[in-house]
Amino acid sequence: MENECTPGPATALIRGQQAGSSCLVMTGTSGYSYLEWVDSGFYPPGTRSAAMLEFYGRFFSVVELNYTWYQMARSDVLTRMLAAAPAHIIFAAKLTRTVTHEREEDWREQVQRYRQGISTLGKRLAAILVQLPPDFDRTVSNRRFLAELLDYLQGMPVAVEFRHASWAVDTVFGELERRQVTLVSVDEPDLPGLFPRLDVVTNPALFYVRFHGRNRKGWKNGNMQKKFDYDYPEQELHQWCEHELGPLSSRASRGIIFFNNHVRAQAPRNALLLNSLIGKKAARS
Amino acid sequence: MMNHRRFILHLNVADFAVAVERVVDLGLRDKPVIVAPLQAARAAVYDMSEEAYRDGVRKGMLLTRATRICRAARVLPPRFDLYRKAMASFVDEARGYSPVLEHGAEDGHLYLDITGTHRLFGTPPDVGWRLHRQIRCKLEIDPIWSLAGSKLVSKIGSRLVKPVGEYIVADGEEQRFLAPLPLHLLPGLSNGERQRLSQFNIVRIGELAALSRMQLEGVFGRRGETLFELSRGIDENAVRPEEERPPRVVREHIFSDDCADRTVLKGVVGALAAQLGMELRATRMQARRVGLQLDYTDGTTVSRQASVRKGVADDDSLLRLAMTALERSLTRRTRVRSCRLIGDRLHGRSPQLKLFTDPATGRKKEQLLTAMDRIRQRFGREAIRMGSQPVLH
Repeated sequence: MENECTPGPATALIRGQQAGSSCLVMTGTSGYSYLEWVDSGFYPPGTRSAAMLEFYGRFFSVVELNYTWYQMARSDVLTRMLAAAPAHIIFAAKLTRTVTHEREEDWREQVQRYRQGISTLGKRLAAILVQLPPDFDRTVSNRRFLAELLDYLQGMPVAVEFRHASWAVDTVFGELERRQVTLVSVDEPDLPGLFPRLDVVTNPALFYVRFHGRNRKGWKNGNMQKKFDYDYPEQELHQWCEHELGPLSSRASRGIIFFNNHVRAQAPRNALLLNSLIGKKAARS
Repeated sequence: MMNHRRFILHLNVADFAVAVERVVDLGLRDKPVIVAPLQAARAAVYDMSEEAYRDGVRKGMLLTRATRICRAARVLPPRFDLYRKAMASFVDEARGYSPVLEHGAEDGHLYLDITGTHRLFGTPPDVGWRLHRQIRCKLEIDPIWSLAGSKLVSKIGSRLVKPVGEYIVADGEEQRFLAPLPLHLLPGLSNGERQRLSQFNIVRIGELAALSRMQLEGVFGRRGETLFELSRGIDENAVRPEEERPPRVVREHIFSDDCADRTVLKGVVGALAAQLGMELRATRMQARRVGLQLDYTDGTTVSRQASVRKGVADDDSLLRLAMTALERSLTRRTRVRSCRLIGDRLHGRSPQLKLFTDPATGRKKEQLLTAMDRIRQRFGREAIRMGSQPVLH
């Protein structure tokens, strides 16, 4: 689904090798409503949750909605959010937990409800993020479930984030490509069993990257404050720009990149830093 | 500048009694269930499952009518002790996330103030989700959870998604959240106020919020201010942990056989008043109000109070207050299942002697009570009693 909005802040157009080809790369954060971002100075003192997206829009053009994972996407909630959102912002929205992590018997009806709710975003929906739990490995029953889930989401822009290494096989990528579903590239600690860092593009319309942080110690900790406590040094982001961004941007017309290391507002800081590095790379291209 | 936003989680187990019964008996799942006293002649529904609710069964409805409406329903007698235990476990799970917690007796409602806990436990929605998951895994009950900046708004969020689900209202969007909702979702509005508002063709919360303070006070007097704030989602009420609630002394008696005999009831309430007095004197406290709660056999509860200006702790005064409350409570001919006597509005006992009472009589009475209290402390509550008081088992 093409976004008709004009590119705003934290976007960069990378020209491809072939004449006329280009990729619009947008950076943002996973979620925007964090009280600690007020304490950490990203939001001005006293900023209320309802006013955060407006402020966020001064720096970014894309945001990943986390709360659709916690609660079912509802038209009334999203309408209120859109009313407060700057016009240039587009959204990626996580699929609700009762379909992915705490699957219930009526998950098919829940997907229908989710589709109805999320359609409120209209053309501003960049992708539905299907994040699968860490123990979701490539078994026959899980493959069947995923195929059925993707069938139910047909017609929507979908990105799938695997967290179990068993899904990193060509047949999976081939099937995603056939369905024009985006494979999410992840940046996370280099630990055994985790889905590896890859630059595979399965959907020429969109590449999708999530930076979770490389906190090896905190990763296995159940506490999100420890797991996502990581500040990317410029050197790591520079390396990523040099080695990963090229293969991704050369095979897709648009890319969205999110930072999930929300602790102490590291995510928006790192996103802005990466965006400036991408901007330099785009200028060179 | 510090951020003073609050994060209040409201958890609500819909149809709590049924939910607990279903944990005990898995065979009750997905079937219509009604909880009501079985032996009472005119028993009323105490609780019902969502299936029975959808058939038209409501709380307080006569059981005979409810079973006619929902013929497939399993009818179970209420087990209050079981519900209390389940409630205690429910509360214990929540306590791990914040000490600022407010809950009812056995109603499946709980408020948790998680303001300032994000560095420990993560973002507020994550706390809501984790607590919900923990309760589901450990207790096998599925509470609604809703998150907002006040008790009022979080409760409305829960009402919106009942019987299962979750709702998050961002800080600052309360008014936009409330505006399209029907008035009946607003807690704290009386039926009379709703009817009066409907005469003005006001049926949604936003329409009420469009009225000024002055307009509301013109129609509702002093209540206008409250309605003004409610309609805007303004609620500064703190979550009040049990230890911060006004102290009170409670004594309860459950009849082995439901009782309609007024003489027996008076005797029991008198005995409870004596127990209350003993507790008050032991802690050197006095009560300015005595409340009586009667649970009738048909599931109805009636509460009445009697109060005095100066606190009392002697048996005679407490008995007089308890009897007044009893007279006010006995409005029905139905049998009583249990009664609870509550002494509240407590304050410390003044060491100063009264000026215009006969010191000899007063002192004698006091000495008698002190002696009786000592005997009870040493040999048990029933070791000595007034002749008019029955033995409580």
